[in-house]
Amino acid sequence: MIKSLDPRVTREQIDIDNQIAPLKDLDQWETYEVFHQKKRGDQHMHVGIVHAPNAEMALLFGKEQFGRRGVSVNIWVVRTADVFTSDYDDSDIFETVPEKQYREAAGYKVMEKINKYKKQNK
Amino acid sequence: MYGNAYIDPNEKPKSIIDGEDPIKLAEFEARIARGEKIEPKDWMPREYRKQLIRMIEQHAHSEIIGALPEGTWITRAPGFKRKLALMAKVQDEVGHAQLLYSAAETLGKSREAMINDLITGKSKYSNVFNYPAFTWADACIIAWLIDAGAIINQVANAKGSYGPYCRALDRICTEESFHLKYGHDNVVTLATGTPTQRKMVQEALNRWWPPIMHFFGPSDKISNHTEILMRWKVKMATNDDMRQQFLNMYVPKIWDLGLTVPDANLKKNEETGKWEYTEPDWDEFKRVINGDGPCNAERLAVRRMAEERGRWVREALHTPKSTYVVPLA
Amino acid sequence: MNHIKELLYKMADDLLILGHRNSEWTGLGPILEEDIAFSSMAQDKIGQSQTLFQLLHDLGEQEPDTVAFTRNANQFHNAIITELPNMDYAFSIMRHFLYDTADQLRFDMLANSSYEPLAKVARKVKGELKYHVFHANTWVKKLGNATEESHARMQTALNEIWDDALGLFEESTFEEQLIKEGVFVGEVELKNRWLAIISPILSDSMLTIPHESTWKPNIGGRVGKHTEHLQPLLDEMSEVFKIDPTAEW
Repeated sequence: MIKSLDPRVTREQIDIDNQIAPLKDLDQWETYEVFHQKKRGDQHMHVGIVHAPNAEMALLFGKEQFGRRGVSVNIWVVRTADVFTSDYDDSDIFETVPEKQYREAAGYKVMEKINKYKKQNK
Repeated sequence: MYGNAYIDPNEKPKSIIDGEDPIKLAEFEARIARGEKIEPKDWMPREYRKQLIRMIEQHAHSEIIGALPEGTWITRAPGFKRKLALMAKVQDEVGHAQLLYSAAETLGKSREAMINDLITGKSKYSNVFNYPAFTWADACIIAWLIDAGAIINQVANAKGSYGPYCRALDRICTEESFHLKYGHDNVVTLATGTPTQRKMVQEALNRWWPPIMHFFGPSDKISNHTEILMRWKVKMATNDDMRQQFLNMYVPKIWDLGLTVPDANLKKNEETGKWEYTEPDWDEFKRVINGDGPCNAERLAVRRMAEERGRWVREALHTPKSTYVVPLA
Repeated sequence: MNHIKELLYKMADDLLILGHRNSEWTGLGPILEEDIAFSSMAQDKIGQSQTLFQLLHDLGEQEPDTVAFTRNANQFHNAIITELPNMDYAFSIMRHFLYDTADQLRFDMLANSSYEPLAKVARKVKGELKYHVFHANTWVKKLGNATEESHARMQTALNEIWDDALGLFEESTFEEQLIKEGVFVGEVELKNRWLAIISPILSDSMLTIPHESTWKPNIGGRVGKHTEHLQPLLDEMSEVFKIDPTAEW
């Protein structure tokens, strides 16, 4: 039995040569992705994962692992397996030709016309 | 709390990139050179994946094993303030293990597989945690100086190339800054306290100095292997550079308190700007990392006990319909 | 003020001793995520206890550290249930459920106490207690309904700890005064409300409360009569502090 400097360990009466069966697959449960909102009005941000056996516990765990410091008002969890993602290999799908000013604010310049009009009608 | 990645100097450098697609490798290296991060589903060289798994896994193990020497003092911390703070600190170490195992999982190794490798002794963790914390002052020295060393390493690694590891480290570094302040406050309190307290902290420093000098590992042999890992931003600084940085930041702070560092040769060479010290006993380091330290057997036995005692809880809540997929980020 | 001091002492001691016991799991819990959550709740308890000792200090008692770290077992007012050693996780979860539900109710009732400093504390800790109970309920329901083994462990824990849990409601000699002055609605009322809340949760968890005819509340804790487990806990807790109780640690 281990006689430890740690009284907690000594109390457990642990055999130093204790052998245990290896952990089986999914022993640590599946994973949930955690989204955290710091304050009302903010977006929920992805902050990491927790291993949990069900959604309620994922919420309990996510709150402590990602919200125990600072401010938080809300948290979401979703099974990793339920998230559908795009591939980084396909990140070029986000690239587009630059000639699309018609959908950018900067593509609309009216001051010139207004000034010209004002000048003419003075 | 973690030292630095241990790279086997005997590994043949050529084998690292053998058989990799040269075009993909060039794209990968160009991405890192541009300062972009690598994400889990990106193509990556086998050796990059292997070294990262090993490194992040060892880091995670160090956190969960590191919770033990300090945990020794959880039930005995003197006074409310210290009791609460130590609980929060050890809790953070467990939290860090959780973050790091999660980061390593994104590379394709399950948490179960990592824990199995830990409890069978197949996978290593930081050597310092194989030493005992004899007194309350030992826990204070750990919280200050071991965490200080860990921060130096972690701040460097947070600038590495693998996205999930960097994100975990950013969160960890924020929490470590509380650990460092807490540790310093404890050591200052003891060093400026009663003669008994001062004696306690000096003795703890004497005990912990050799493990602290071991903390960053032996001098790196600069091989092609280390060069490639530094180019890939897996290894961010040499062991000696980090040790120098540590000595530069903390030896003056230790001396400020009138404490003695138990190394008569320790001094800063004003010409070179480098610290000189007695070469640590690297044979002891190797002996301990290979299992023959004062606490190795206890640490692993305690971990096995904890896993075993929790097994029924985990099995009870396991649902047959659950499926495991690699975490996203 | 003796009636208020007595109330504060028993609450503070409950929180300190149970927080201490629960902290023994830190780093050794069944899974990392739960380890973190359970440690947070232990911290909350010890923090709340410190706040209550501060109220006692404001009423002329010694400093919180001195009071917490230098008394002997026979000077402690915690209920027996809080001092019992941790057994398996089912035991700790069951104790957490039974105690924390009572604790939340007690603070909830005290939020309207005529003793304003305590009412203020009660309002401040409301959120922490809500999480504790949410955590406890989720675990009890899940473990009670999971496997044969987990159900059996939970039922065993409930049977073993039931009389100790009833000891939480040991009446004080100041009961009448506390009620009359509107400080606290009293242990009997608390116990009834507690029973009304835990009963449906336990039955949803397929767990059975021992038959009322067998109940023997394990009292004495409130007047300093403890099991053999408390003094060693206190010796351990104060080992460093007592090296020099006048020093700053």
